[in-house]
Amino acid sequence: MILLEPHNVIIQTTLADKIAKPSSLDVAFVDFDGVRFHISTPDRKTVIQLSMNIRCWDELVQFGAMNILQREYGSLLKPSPEPEYNVSLDIDLDQVPAEEEARETFIRSVSLFKRNALAAPFELAFKQQKELEASGSSQSELMQIHYRDEEAIYVQASQDRVTVIFSTVFREETDRIFGKVFLQEFVDARRQPSIQNAPQVLYNSRDPPLEIREVPGLRNTEDIGYVTFVLFPRHFTNPTTATNTISHIQLFRDYLHYHIKCSKAYMHSRMRHRVSEFQKVLNRAKTEVATTERKTASGRTMSNR
Amino acid sequence: MADTAFRKIDIDIYDEDVLLETELYDPDPRDPSQVLSDAKQKQGAVRSSLAKSDIPGALDIALDSAPYGPNVDEAKNLTLQTVVTILNSTKSSDISNVIKALSQDAQDTLMKYIYKGMGMPGWGDVSGSVLLGWHEKLTEIAGTGCIVRAMTDRRSV
Amino acid sequence: MSNVLRPYLAAVRSTLTAALTLENFSSQVVERHNKPEVEARGSKEVLLNPLTISRNENERVLIEPSVNSIRMSIKIKQADEIERILCHKFTRFMMQRAESFVVLRRKPVPGYDISFLITHVHAETMLKHKIVDFIIQFMEEVDREISEMKLSLNARARIVAESYLSAFNA
Repeated sequence: MILLEPHNVIIQTTLADKIAKPSSLDVAFVDFDGVRFHISTPDRKTVIQLSMNIRCWDELVQFGAMNILQREYGSLLKPSPEPEYNVSLDIDLDQVPAEEEARETFIRSVSLFKRNALAAPFELAFKQQKELEASGSSQSELMQIHYRDEEAIYVQASQDRVTVIFSTVFREETDRIFGKVFLQEFVDARRQPSIQNAPQVLYNSRDPPLEIREVPGLRNTEDIGYVTFVLFPRHFTNPTTATNTISHIQLFRDYLHYHIKCSKAYMHSRMRHRVSEFQKVLNRAKTEVATTERKTASGRTMSNR
Repeated sequence: MADTAFRKIDIDIYDEDVLLETELYDPDPRDPSQVLSDAKQKQGAVRSSLAKSDIPGALDIALDSAPYGPNVDEAKNLTLQTVVTILNSTKSSDISNVIKALSQDAQDTLMKYIYKGMGMPGWGDVSGSVLLGWHEKLTEIAGTGCIVRAMTDRRSV
Repeated sequence: MSNVLRPYLAAVRSTLTAALTLENFSSQVVERHNKPEVEARGSKEVLLNPLTISRNENERVLIEPSVNSIRMSIKIKQADEIERILCHKFTRFMMQRAESFVVLRRKPVPGYDISFLITHVHAETMLKHKIVDFIIQFMEEVDREISEMKLSLNARARIVAESYLSAFNA
């Protein structure tokens, strides 16, 4: 699996199971970026409550997350969320479409819960770009989404493009160096003719790019990197493409770190193999020790102290 | 607070049986300044031998009574420089014959200089690959014993 | 590649063979102690001249012989940041397993990446020429392993970047 999936597999499978065979349940689980889910049946077996907690919920609401969730889930959305969570859905299993295909679509849509919430700033930016293009003004306000403790996404619409900047922290030196190799490839890969339509990627290590230099509280230490994606109207004019772009770009940070971890795991298994080969070579140097039992004249066994 | 400086005194140096660096080998009978002028003189002689492309002769001169012991660092470096110049200007096909022409003592001294040269990579015009080439040929001809003698001789060059 | 490396490895091999003349030797400083003199450095007369074999500043081997033990340290070639971190990871991985590599030292000598400590016990219980073979093979393969790991990292990075970016076209 090279690409990460935008939907949550646990929601998807649980929901599919429960629709087939309703029973009471109470599960808490997590997704990328410290998002917490709680799926339970508080009242009846046939009504599933799905709650979500996102670190940057307040920011998302500001950028219109409620509207998007309202549009996607309509009456499923509970007026007041479960305590400790930011937003809740009530799914009445009896109301789920009976038809196979419609049911799949429904499950899929619920499993995209987190993705839809996080889509708000991107959708807003795409809309703003259209307005800016029409009105001819230069830039919209910079949107900041602090979706992790030390890392954030910055989105800004301009007249002819939408700029998305990720700040990402590499905790270890190995991660930092591996990350550099990966990001360099992201920058270089666009030279390939087959992917020239992809968004332009820029990479700054240490110093924040020009667009967000004014933002207070930015770090410029060795372990931080800034990745800028420049999205052009061709990436979001068509609604289907826009949906795709949003699902895809949201997961950039997780994708990058996932693959850094994968490379480290691969290196580790390689080293394990190589070291065991060396061990074999060294073992060849050991002389055979005669292991015959030694006995004294009276028949007692001698042993090493 | 009692004075604890006495704990740091190295009492071993007051031991009658203590072994000193200088007792490990016979010191050079020559005076350090004498050694230096000898080295300079040899450098000149080596140059004229090299001009006649007499490599074995040049090497013989350079390796004869090589400076060793303390206080003669300048002469040591000068001699190393001279030896390295000779080694660098020898064609790789001639190396075997040059080595065969040397006496055993000269071979041992040459081995010491090769190791010294490799110990200071990047110094002067020391080149790792040239020295490795000489090392290989010298080991082939003079055997492992030559390395052992370079390793055990306290009169380091 | 191996042709360039050959004189270097040959020199290491012959020097190591010469240095591996070890015998049991009790400490002269502490009674009833028997320790590797090259580490203890207790008495001058049992330590021999350390020898260096080098290809250049970044690739060298230090062999420190003594009467009952030799210490050999290797500096592995590291061309850039990636090779440096891979080399560090690899040597650390090996040194954490020093227990099973009896001749491996847990810590490298300062200025080097990995060190071996061979004592007379090893020389007695193991075949000397096979120990030398092991070290030479290690030196041969560690360079190759590091460059292969670097290549595989670059290849993965390329595939990852391409598949991410080409998904935008879909």
